[in-house]
Amino acid sequence: MIDRTKELIVVKDLYKSYGKLQVLRGIDQTIFEGEVVSIIGASGSGKSTFLRCLNLLEVPDSGSIVFDGQEITGKKVNIDAYRQRIGMVFQHFNVFPHLKVIDNITVTPCLEKKMDKAKAVSLAEDLLRRVGLYDKRDEYPTKLSGGQKQRLAIVRALAMEPQVILFDEPTSALDPEMVKEVLDVIGELARSGMTILIVTHEMGFAKKVSDRVLFIDEGQIVEQGTPEEVFENTQTERCRDFLNKVLY
Amino acid sequence: MLQIIASIWQKYGYVYIQGAWGTIYIAVLTVLIGTLLGTLLAFLRLTRSRILQAVIRLYVWILRGTPALLQIYFFYFFVPKYLPFEMSERACIMMALVVNASAYVEEIIRAGIQAVDRGQTEAARSLGMTARHTMTHIILPQAIKNILPALGNEFIVMIKEASLASIFFIVEITSAFKTVQSATFITIPALVISGGLYLLLTTVLSFFMKLAERRLQVND
Repeated sequence: MIDRTKELIVVKDLYKSYGKLQVLRGIDQTIFEGEVVSIIGASGSGKSTFLRCLNLLEVPDSGSIVFDGQEITGKKVNIDAYRQRIGMVFQHFNVFPHLKVIDNITVTPCLEKKMDKAKAVSLAEDLLRRVGLYDKRDEYPTKLSGGQKQRLAIVRALAMEPQVILFDEPTSALDPEMVKEVLDVIGELARSGMTILIVTHEMGFAKKVSDRVLFIDEGQIVEQGTPEEVFENTQTERCRDFLNKVLY
Repeated sequence: MLQIIASIWQKYGYVYIQGAWGTIYIAVLTVLIGTLLGTLLAFLRLTRSRILQAVIRLYVWILRGTPALLQIYFFYFFVPKYLPFEMSERACIMMALVVNASAYVEEIIRAGIQAVDRGQTEAARSLGMTARHTMTHIILPQAIKNILPALGNEFIVMIKEASLASIFFIVEITSAFKTVQSATFITIPALVISGGLYLLLTTVLSFFMKLAERRLQVND
């Protein structure tokens, strides 16, 4: 399913610091269309910052990001148009509490894509059915469990029909018994051919669904490869240290 | 005591009623215009302009750091001198109260907006929503729940602060007490009636505020 001829995201020499703290120190990476890439690493290693740079929620200090052939780090870029094509799912869900489940999904397509309301609703209903939330369509998000909120956040991103979805620790804030229902949705999405970048601490999941795994440490990609290469045949000392600490 | 109050009310009730209308008039107009001005200031401050932010911070600092009474004296004595048109005494005092209220409202609205979780903005922007739509469709509808109760309190404060206008014998509830007291030389009962009117106004207002708050909290 990976199209090696189509580079979707090309990152070159990305740097980012907060004050004196250097978070990203020269990241180079190419993501191909249809690829599922897991990003692993310790807290504070810069993996979330890297992900948030890709849709410019964080603005990098230097380096370039080319999305689908267009440089998006330039000054005159209409970033809103690009963000519509780059979905994102957050650790803390960030569903809109003042909108019903169905309106959480339709609000952005209607406003920004000028999508017909009826069309947006039917698209949203299809998505809700896909993740088993159809019966919640008229509830407010406060009535949902964490797992349900995260599934809602995923279909809210899908409703914009993005070319890639960025997952920023999507299961870290969930109760343990809700992790699987969210991972199942992400896994299904991965199999459907969606391009996915996921920052995660779920090593088993990363092993199972990823085409490629990146290990980030101190703002650099220290090791990368297929799940077998990274998990079974680890090359670097730093990655081995990290895996020894998290796998048991 | 009750008898005295009843007889004062019988004879001078109209003075108090006039006073109550005066207070309502001052408070309603002050809150309305003060809220408009305060909202404008809050949005100007939320823009990224450093100069605007500094000017508004100075404005708020002065108005919140000095007594309202002092501000009323300032508008009463100085402002009319430099205006090209005539202004009534009441207009001068209301102008002072409006300016004073705008500083508090600015803080209320800015704080209400900033209290909405940053994640909401990030989620909306990550979907590709414009900054303007994010504000109007995602942030403000949530911020209003923080803003409205505080704005209601400001309304109550204004009803009471309007009493400062009595120093200049503008018709309102405290002036009504002064009028009755100087006509009858009866002090405490006359004062009690004024106090009762204030309580009536603020209680009715609190009741409607509670109602509004409860409606806003339906989906919490």
